[in-house]
Amino acid sequence: MTAKIALQGLAHEYVNPFTRERVLALDGLELDVADGEFLTVVGPSGCGKTTLLNILAGLVSPTRGAVLVDGRRVTGPGRDRGVVFQEFAILPWRTVERNIAHGLEIQGVPRAERAASVRRFVELIGLTGFEKKYPHELSGGMRQRVAVARTLAANPEVMLMDEPFASVDAQTRITLQEELNAIAQATRKTILFVTHNVEEAVFLGDRCCVLSRRPGRVKALVGVNIPRERRTWKLFTSDPSFGATRDHVLRLVRQEVSGEDGVP
Amino acid sequence: MTRQLVVTWIVLLAAVTAAWGLAAAMLPLPDYYLPPPTAVLAALGDLVAKGILPDYVAESVRRIVLAAVLGLVVGVPLGLILGMSRRVADFFYPLLNFFQSVSGVAWLPLMLVWFGFGERTILMAVNYTVLFPVIFNALLGVRSVPRLYVNALRTLGASPWRVARDVLVPGALPSIATGMRLGLAYGWRALIAAEMLVGANGLGFMIFNAQNFHLTARIMLGMGIIGVLWVALDYFLLRPLEEATVARWGLVQR
Repeated sequence: MTAKIALQGLAHEYVNPFTRERVLALDGLELDVADGEFLTVVGPSGCGKTTLLNILAGLVSPTRGAVLVDGRRVTGPGRDRGVVFQEFAILPWRTVERNIAHGLEIQGVPRAERAASVRRFVELIGLTGFEKKYPHELSGGMRQRVAVARTLAANPEVMLMDEPFASVDAQTRITLQEELNAIAQATRKTILFVTHNVEEAVFLGDRCCVLSRRPGRVKALVGVNIPRERRTWKLFTSDPSFGATRDHVLRLVRQEVSGEDGVP
Repeated sequence: MTRQLVVTWIVLLAAVTAAWGLAAAMLPLPDYYLPPPTAVLAALGDLVAKGILPDYVAESVRRIVLAAVLGLVVGVPLGLILGMSRRVADFFYPLLNFFQSVSGVAWLPLMLVWFGFGERTILMAVNYTVLFPVIFNALLGVRSVPRLYVNALRTLGASPWRVARDVLVPGALPSIATGMRLGLAYGWRALIAAEMLVGANGLGFMIFNAQNFHLTARIMLGMGIIGVLWVALDYFLLRPLEEATVARWGLVQR
């Protein structure tokens, strides 16, 4: 089986605009993501998680190495890779439904088809009745739902998510995580999800990729062997392998934060 | 405006007018120094009856409306285009900032030499004064659109043209509205000044000419009309325009 996404010897260096220092964010990162896999990426802050995602999105060109999607080299943004950003990146001057339809509009999908798709996704994210609202009339959690729906409606093959639930409250986050899990199960999309929250990474991922501290490399890949059907927080946390996996990943991340090496 | 605010203003205006009338009657000053409110009212009746005031108001309004149309049709698109590229915007920024600060009034002596003692100089001064803040703010508006929105649209597969249409132009609208309001406010002042200097009609000409004949009431009337016209223009045209778009999107907090 060939990988859906292949990262080959990825390295990225940039100049910090404030300190004018050269920063090596990623160095020699190798990673394969299978078709339909949900891969979560965790690591200490500043390890290049967001840089990695921006390179995958095609918004940043890597200094060295290559990103292949379906064997084709990524050279810029494309509709095959949808992105959900950490901040709410929906447009304030478009209503909920026009934001969700935006990707389809760009693809030239006829109006009637767009409307049908919008109805489906509005329902999926539970925002029925809010179609005509503007983003400033919605809560943070609702806005991020709209962003997720916009990306899903555009129907990309790969979804890239950059800490999408970091700025919503704890209750909403739990709901959104469970919803995303259901969506992943239903759509079988390849998803790469960056987070600094270890529990979230274990809850959502088929595999969890731990990055080393800067410059980021793959430190470990941890499989989560709990079926998607059992992934609601209630069932999931009562599964004995959840705690063990979480503690294992947490230990790996802590080693990178504290700089200890080789501690089992 | 709330009803309460309107009432407050009416009471305040009445009080000031009464105090003014009292001062004019009591103080040992000649009438041309401080004419009473009744004299100003009489001047209004007189000038309307003669048809002079409607004519002059129409002339001044025609000139500012022309400048507004020019600002919308030329200034806004020009500013938007200049703002699209960071490098072009950085180059033009100091230039636009410079010309925005050198008001059309400061240009009048030079314009008199170039364009002569008449209508052409007035129009040049006013259009110039309106245009630069409009261009400048449209450029700033484009530059101030969060990069995040641009990136989000690019990842949806949008072309640069599409990004400009769906993100940069609507994102620049608050700044464009500010630019239009500022430009027209500056332009209105420049218009009065230009009319005073080289006009053969218009409100500026009216108040400046009245001074030659010691028609102080006419000067005060002209000043009042200049202010009232601006407040009306701003309240009935510029603000509703802003509210129809920008405020509804939650981009401006009121």
